[in-house]
Amino acid sequence: MAEEGDMVSSLQPILDQKSLKWIFVGGKGGVGKTTTSCSLAVQMAKARKSVLLISTDPAHNLSDAFGMKFGKDARPVTGVEGLAAMEIDPNGSINDLISAGGDDAQEAMQGLGGVGSMFQDMAFSIPGVDEAMSFAEVLKQVKGMEYELIIFDTAPTGHTLRFLQFPSVLEKALEKLSALSNQFGGMINNLVAARGGLPNGQSFDDVLKKMEDLRNTIGDVNKQFKNPDLTTFIPVMIPEFLSLYETERMIQELGNYEIDTHAIVVNQLLFPKKDNPCEQCNARRKMQKKYLEQIDDLYGEDFNVVKMPLLVNEVRGVDSITKFSEMLVKPYEAPE
Amino acid sequence: MISILLLVFLLQVAIHLLNTFGAQTVNELLWTLYTKLPTPQSKDAAQSSKLRADVVRLNRDMRAVSAQDDFAKWARLRREHDKAKEKYDKQSADLQSFRTNFDRIVGFLRWGGTQGLQFVCNFWFSGHAMFWLPQGWVPYPAEWVLSFPRAPLGSISINVWTMACASVIALVSEATRATWALREGKVVEGPNKGEKIRMEGMSGGAGGGGNEKKEL
Repeated sequence: MAEEGDMVSSLQPILDQKSLKWIFVGGKGGVGKTTTSCSLAVQMAKARKSVLLISTDPAHNLSDAFGMKFGKDARPVTGVEGLAAMEIDPNGSINDLISAGGDDAQEAMQGLGGVGSMFQDMAFSIPGVDEAMSFAEVLKQVKGMEYELIIFDTAPTGHTLRFLQFPSVLEKALEKLSALSNQFGGMINNLVAARGGLPNGQSFDDVLKKMEDLRNTIGDVNKQFKNPDLTTFIPVMIPEFLSLYETERMIQELGNYEIDTHAIVVNQLLFPKKDNPCEQCNARRKMQKKYLEQIDDLYGEDFNVVKMPLLVNEVRGVDSITKFSEMLVKPYEAPE
Repeated sequence: MISILLLVFLLQVAIHLLNTFGAQTVNELLWTLYTKLPTPQSKDAAQSSKLRADVVRLNRDMRAVSAQDDFAKWARLRREHDKAKEKYDKQSADLQSFRTNFDRIVGFLRWGGTQGLQFVCNFWFSGHAMFWLPQGWVPYPAEWVLSFPRAPLGSISINVWTMACASVIALVSEATRATWALREGKVVEGPNKGEKIRMEGMSGGAGGGGNEKKEL
């Protein structure tokens, strides 16, 4: 946890918090989540041995930000030592999972008749379960890999919270499924046996066992997410009403999920020079100032509020990001 | 021991009153009484209404503050409001579940005390004569009906006595209501409540009533 009382306006405390294993970066669309998470990843890579940056935003921006192609597997970022990145699709539905078993599995499902489609119906009817499944896949992958720190660049707000809810959702769903199988397991087994068994010689019990394993993994991860020493969430916002509103809501919800958050990045601040003739810039600066005061008032005591300037050029490419990332650690000095 | 004649009459009065005022009203009344008494739920109910007042007050405060101009203050109010609301929801859910039980028990007792008791009485005293008719007052078929089902011939059975009580009570009640309505000069209940009664020969009053209605 960050030091009490003295909240510095940089992400240095997060860098110093060596116990951290998961960092989530989230906020409304277009506030600079990806830039922030990339910058944080770059800074973290300097402080830790190995860092993995995962984008769960369906609109994958990591590739754009770093100017190189990432995919479903972790790939090292050239130019940044100890940093790897990957992009996953949280919308990868359970259909993928089913079709991953090939046509065999599909046919088997149909072969099962009522029971098979019942499973499919169930899988679709539990909200978030398909996303949870793909999340679980990622977690399994990530668990196998030895990274000191994993940074999630999450999708815009609503999505983020659902994503964080997944462990609980999946746990509930699997609980139901186990209860069901305890009741009807024998019957289902008989049905499966009558149809000649599941593909690849699996038995129904094996499938259930796999699900049980999955549930345990997820329960474990859930516990980790709720531990403030291991996990933190960094909201990114811009000093505008809607962004502020969403952020406040998000912080409250994170509190309900018992997920720690103690740093906020306020992005895209304008610092026009005193004698600037640009009317729009000055008006906008005035508006931003108003919200900045509110932010300081509301979060200043409990959060590291990091203020990032709006640059004149796009933050793209490793060099640009590295330069930008320094401002996360050393507060930006506005020119007079 | 109270006379069975009187008991049946009183039961019918009770049933009639219940039907007139409605079981819900009676439940409501009993609940109010119950929460006024020093019961564990009375504390909960008081707390619940206090919490509700809090939520309403916070909501009003929140509306009074502009979220755009004074976000910090607004957000703090909102946090407080959400907390109070959550607490209130939980409390009221608890109270509500108790209330459901309470209503069920009250309903059961109410039914037992009126209809149930009536059934028991009707069954128990079905063979008894409520009172005897002077011989030869009514012809045999009427005597048979009046003693239906099992009372000795020539007497009034409890079932018939019950029906007689119910009819008289209904008539008296209707008459009372009509008298009241006439005295007030307007409809005193039902969907047309408050409307003036217009009658032939009440030209002045009716005209006045008509005007008033138009103004409304």
